[in-house]
Amino acid sequence: MKKVFGRLKQNKYLLAGVIMTGIAVLLALVSIFWTPYSTTAMSAAEKFDAPSFRHLFGTDNFGRDIFSRVMKGMGTTILISTLVVLLAGAAGILIGALTGYFGGIVDEIVMRITDAINGFPSILLALVVITLMGSGRQNLIISLAIVFTPSFVRIVRSEFIRLRDADYILRARLMGVGKLRILFVHILPNIFSTFWVSVMIGFNNAILAESGMSYLGIGVQPPDATLGMMLSDAQGYLTTAPWYALAPGLSIVWLVLGFSLLSEGIRRQA
Amino acid sequence: MIKIENLSVAFDGTEVVKKLSLTIADGEIVGVVGESGSGKSVTALTMMGLVSEEATITSGKIWYDDTLLLEAGKPRDKALYRSFQGSKMSMIFQEPMTSLNPTKRVGNQVEEMLKLHTTDLTAKQMKEKVLEAFLSVGLKDAERVYECYPHQLSGGMRQRVMIAMAIILHPGLVVADEPTTALDVSVQSQIIRLLRKINKEQKNSMLFITHDLNLAKRLCNRVVVMKDGNVVESGTVNEIFDHPKEEYTRKLIEAVPSREKKMQRFSMNVGDIQNANGQNMPLQRPDILEVKDLNVSYMDGSNSLFSSKKKKQVVTGATFTMKQGEILGLVGESGCGKTTLSKAILGMNKDVEGSIIHHSNQPQMIFQDPYSSLNPAKTIGWLLQEPLRAAGLRDKQFEMTKADREAAAFDMLHKVGLSDKYFYRKSSQLSGGQRQRISIAQALITRPGLVIADEPVSALDVTIQAQIMELMRKLQEEMKLSFLFISHDINVIYQMSDRIMVMKEGRIVEIGETQEIFDNPKEAYTKQLLAEV
Repeated sequence: MKKVFGRLKQNKYLLAGVIMTGIAVLLALVSIFWTPYSTTAMSAAEKFDAPSFRHLFGTDNFGRDIFSRVMKGMGTTILISTLVVLLAGAAGILIGALTGYFGGIVDEIVMRITDAINGFPSILLALVVITLMGSGRQNLIISLAIVFTPSFVRIVRSEFIRLRDADYILRARLMGVGKLRILFVHILPNIFSTFWVSVMIGFNNAILAESGMSYLGIGVQPPDATLGMMLSDAQGYLTTAPWYALAPGLSIVWLVLGFSLLSEGIRRQA
Repeated sequence: MIKIENLSVAFDGTEVVKKLSLTIADGEIVGVVGESGSGKSVTALTMMGLVSEEATITSGKIWYDDTLLLEAGKPRDKALYRSFQGSKMSMIFQEPMTSLNPTKRVGNQVEEMLKLHTTDLTAKQMKEKVLEAFLSVGLKDAERVYECYPHQLSGGMRQRVMIAMAIILHPGLVVADEPTTALDVSVQSQIIRLLRKINKEQKNSMLFITHDLNLAKRLCNRVVVMKDGNVVESGTVNEIFDHPKEEYTRKLIEAVPSREKKMQRFSMNVGDIQNANGQNMPLQRPDILEVKDLNVSYMDGSNSLFSSKKKKQVVTGATFTMKQGEILGLVGESGCGKTTLSKAILGMNKDVEGSIIHHSNQPQMIFQDPYSSLNPAKTIGWLLQEPLRAAGLRDKQFEMTKADREAAAFDMLHKVGLSDKYFYRKSSQLSGGQRQRISIAQALITRPGLVIADEPVSALDVTIQAQIMELMRKLQEEMKLSFLFISHDINVIYQMSDRIMVMKEGRIVEIGETQEIFDNPKEAYTKQLLAEV
């Protein structure tokens, strides 16, 4: 424990990152059980209240408490981004490991497919998937995962190519270690630090992508709160109730900045 | 000429050079020898003003003739240094590939020295001077070399270009930091001769840094032995090599493999029948490996989808047999096909013609670089057990319980001379010599009959080198192993091997008993190899 604090003291990136993401994750976790107000309770009397001690971030056009909705929205965003990165990361490891290690014609084909996916703007591509499969939380996760997989494939693949001819892997082959065991027991642990950084970056991109999709109204559907959707709702009241837009907007910035600092801190620690 | 007084250099508060004093007289070649981490390179870099900014000079002064170059506590005078670097003192580095700019013609790179330090030369005169320098370092085709890029030259030629660059302004001092370490033995000798010739002709002083005592002996007038940042001993070559005073110097000299010190050969004769005169009868052992008419080639450009694949033949018509319990030394210069041949024997190269017959289980391999041959993510204990686990996964009959595996791993750890505590460590916490021990343990734990050792001691310091060779000898006897021992160092081969096989350009030139080959080599190439050392 002392060691952890020592490291945090030395590594200001890590410290700032841990604090910022810590607060965000804590709020999101609390929101599962409790929010100051119900996120859906409307109140005609409290429409567009400015931030106060009663409503920390003010209220929206239906008189709902924005702080509560930001808490919930952050939870949704973090959950979706996590699932997207988990799915894409797992697919990336599997495909990247196989193509990188074995190479050959399959590798060429897979790489050209990932090139093609990378050629489209991610939101556009996710849009296509959503139109094909229909909107909704689950499909949003799947479509974003598909969009995010290629970047993980690339990183994992290049690491596997780098390590597949390492002396210790040649030796493992000589010892008669099976191919799958070489892939996932001998090589995989060695790419962890590189992979971890790409997961962090991927997570940030997933937050932005999810917010963007929700903003366009093709992500999570109301009455569920997400940061992107709140931003889009607030658009019309930018001059009359600026806090309505500022609250979710700054929350997105907070989340992304926190995670950037965290990943930079971890990278420097390694 | 050069005087270093009481020099101490520290990185992050740890002193790597401690109170070192050294003088180099005019025209003298002083050798600094020591194992890695002894502070010899830092000393040279500090003297040249090239040591990194993180280093602090904690004490001492450096004089060049009457000029005070550096004094502890005062900031480095960069302008003063710049006027000395190149023109009055210059440096030759170890790696000729990385010390030349790959995007510029070498002629222009050497000319750069003239542009920076002279003012009165025309472009034509400069080129003439460069060509002259090329000729003086033995680059006969100077005009052509001038137009070449570094990658178009061989390692030896690149090093000659580096030397030309270092001497073109006739500096009073040339510092050579392991200038021959990256080169083949025969090229190594040429470079040493060249440095000697330059020293004679230009009468400049040289500081020659090396880990190789043989080279220091051949080139230097005086030698300074360093250890852990201290000067252990210094004196003339004769004093140091013939009458070393310090224990450490003696140990270093003893560790150097040489002809006089063929290791006591025990196991080869075990089981041999001696005749009435006490002479060994011809060996009556079973073969462990038979290689016949072996051609090995590899596909060039096979990683690309569209480029046409070219077949490149690396080994041609290799035929030899290995006896059980024998150490066969394989010697040859880089690129002669040693490694390709060994990979073919291991079954890791599929492009083979001819036959390879094993009379034992899968051979194992020990690699040169101890830093890349152990998986950094795993503990030593895990690594040692992995061959056993793999065998169990492959075939139920070899399956072992966890306790048995651990016991075997501990046993092997002791066999290679390491204590129990290393079992739980990762390879990053081990020194090069310790890692090589683990590599050996890992290769031997499945008790293979045949082990291929590809330059297993080349990356190690001399004293460690001697220990590892000793260990391999001991294990070979205990476990009745056969080694195919690959090395570029003919002395190492001499010490280790029962028989020697000489390779050149993919062909086996000569094969025979060690003593026989050394006493009367038949082929011209073998003679040349033996003469180099």
